[in-house]
Amino acid sequence: MTGVKKMFLVTEFIALLGTNLILMQALGTSTLFIACNSKKNLVFTASVITFFTTFGSAVSYFIDRFAGNGKLSDFRLLFYILATGFLYVFLLSVFYFVSRNLFEKIRKYIHISVFNCAVMGTLFTVSEKYSGYSVSLSEYVLGGFQAGAGFIIASLILTSAYRSLNSAKVPVSFRGFPAMLIYLGIISMAVYALK
Amino acid sequence: MNKNKKKTFEGLFSDNTVLYSFMVISPVIMCGNTVKNALALIYAFSAITFISVIVSSFVPKSIPYSVKIIIYAVISALVYIPVKMTAQEYFSEVVARTGIYFPLIAVNSLITVQTEAKFFRMPKIKMIGSLVCHILGFDAVMLVTAFIRELVSYGTVNNRVMDSDFMISGSGTVFGGFIFLGLLSGLYRKISSLSENEQVNDRGEENVSGN
Amino acid sequence: MSEKLKKDQQSIWLDTLITLSALMLMAYFYYGSHIVFVGTVCAVVSLIAEIICLRLMHREFSADDLSCTADALITVLMLPASIDLRTALSACIFGVIVAKNALGGRMNTIFPPSAVSYLFAYTSWKSQVLTFPEPNTQQDVFEKSSVLVNSASHVFNTTGRFSYSDFDILMGNFSGGAGTVSILILIISALILVFRKDISAGAFFGTLFGTAFTAYLVPLTDDRLLSVKYALITNTVLFSAVYIVSDRRTNPERNVYSFFYGLLTGTTSYIITVTTAKENAVVLVCVLLTPIALALKNLERKIELADTEQLGKEAVSVE
Repeated sequence: MTGVKKMFLVTEFIALLGTNLILMQALGTSTLFIACNSKKNLVFTASVITFFTTFGSAVSYFIDRFAGNGKLSDFRLLFYILATGFLYVFLLSVFYFVSRNLFEKIRKYIHISVFNCAVMGTLFTVSEKYSGYSVSLSEYVLGGFQAGAGFIIASLILTSAYRSLNSAKVPVSFRGFPAMLIYLGIISMAVYALK
Repeated sequence: MNKNKKKTFEGLFSDNTVLYSFMVISPVIMCGNTVKNALALIYAFSAITFISVIVSSFVPKSIPYSVKIIIYAVISALVYIPVKMTAQEYFSEVVARTGIYFPLIAVNSLITVQTEAKFFRMPKIKMIGSLVCHILGFDAVMLVTAFIRELVSYGTVNNRVMDSDFMISGSGTVFGGFIFLGLLSGLYRKISSLSENEQVNDRGEENVSGN
Repeated sequence: MSEKLKKDQQSIWLDTLITLSALMLMAYFYYGSHIVFVGTVCAVVSLIAEIICLRLMHREFSADDLSCTADALITVLMLPASIDLRTALSACIFGVIVAKNALGGRMNTIFPPSAVSYLFAYTSWKSQVLTFPEPNTQQDVFEKSSVLVNSASHVFNTTGRFSYSDFDILMGNFSGGAGTVSILILIISALILVFRKDISAGAFFGTLFGTAFTAYLVPLTDDRLLSVKYALITNTVLFSAVYIVSDRRTNPERNVYSFFYGLLTGTTSYIITVTTAKENAVVLVCVLLTPIALALKNLERKIELADTEQLGKEAVSVE
């Protein structure tokens, strides 16, 4: 049976979906809806979120070592925000020096991909998952990267139905975001049943 | 005058934070399944958002937006600390049960996005009024969602058993939250459009009678 | 929706209803009048819900909208014969309103409504949905079944044993969903619906091939061929292949694409059955893989558009 489990990646994929930050935790849903407007937006948002969840988790590893579960644990949110802010400024600086045009285009929207529940929620989720265990930095980074990959998978799931959910055949009251919520809910129901 | 009044109160209904703008959805979906959870999150959201936005309104406008947004987030993280300590006194079980969604309230879109886009473009008094209405709009949706979902999935309201022998346990889960919120927002849009049509008809009748 | 599908909606519905009625008759023979009562009430209530939804959407009710009754019967036939009426009704209403009409109705079917209805019942009332009466235990309309057992599929998934004769298998004389175990009738229904082009042949054969091939590669029993046989008759595979995965409303039109979709569904569901012993995984996987069906339909549409443009250019150049 162990050989069978290793042979197929299906169960691993289902397990990944089972911890998906959008389908199972509803984190970053509004960011996803905004991003799905256009393919370009989606690629950019998903990439930025994956960057921040991965590197943010790496920084949160050190914050968790420092803050622990003592008196400083209440300041954890503040430390996460400062860390995310630092990464945000760093990324903006990179864009500024690499391409001024790109910097002008992205600076009005990048904060939506940074200061949202998807990124913050991932830092807290990874922290909670490994709380009380002695783990290495790579586990945190992997956890953050998995969350980013989960966002990408959820955005692909939504993109495939985007045209249908915004079609004129959908009742006006449900067209767009309400239909997207229902659609994600049904997919989430399937993942929940398979977990 | 009426237009200004309308703009101030629009956060309650026509520009509802959750149902119209689709912001702060995660806590409604994940934690809006019991009234107790909802009350704790309503308290946290209201306190953090109100105090953070008021304090953030004193941040000089000359600072670049990229830096201001970090300052807003830091302010809300600092406000979160005393709010959480108070919540642990009155809602200790709930704070533990809601897990990561309690601190995530502090980075809600009302603070990070709507401050610059909407609130800080208004005069102070109107800003406070509009902010209160937006907060109340979220609170109302959270309460209604939690009430219905708790009744349908567990047969209780605020942990008091109701006389209900048919329960749909799925409505208390994450997918139940998604679907319920989708249906609620569809219903909200329908009611909004009906009331807008009524107003247009009333205005049309006034014009005709005026003539 | 294509012109061919639009024209054939009524005849598809009629053929499907006839085959479902045969399954319902077998269910009545084994389990009594309760399941027939539940099926009838669900079909009527689904129809009422559909009419109300159409009225709210300011659309005319037509004979094509009768497909909701078939969806209701498919849902009920997947549930145990002892299912509570309220559970079955809630599932069917959920399918009609949420899975179908809120997302655009029959002109924009994204999910198979009966699959979503079953999934809703599965997640909300799991113990009710996965315990079954033994065959030949008659249950009157308002009677509650006292002795419920696990399905034969559950026993097969967990132990690899399936101790029923071929005759019992064909006649559906083993515990399972009310209409999902009558293998002979399902085979005949499949042949009728495939040859009359009421269901997607590609998806149907793809599902069966995917399940069979994976069951041969990774058998649950010592005998590979037996494993293939049992994999196809348990876990609602055959029933789903006929009525859910092959639903033409949700499938790509070309058989090549729908075969691939069916293959993926069959393979994935069998792997999940083997690794997690989950019952009726094919229904759950069908909903989960809906984005793939939609992506294939989008691809198909783009290829058709490109072909039409190409033909147009060629016609212009010839002139």
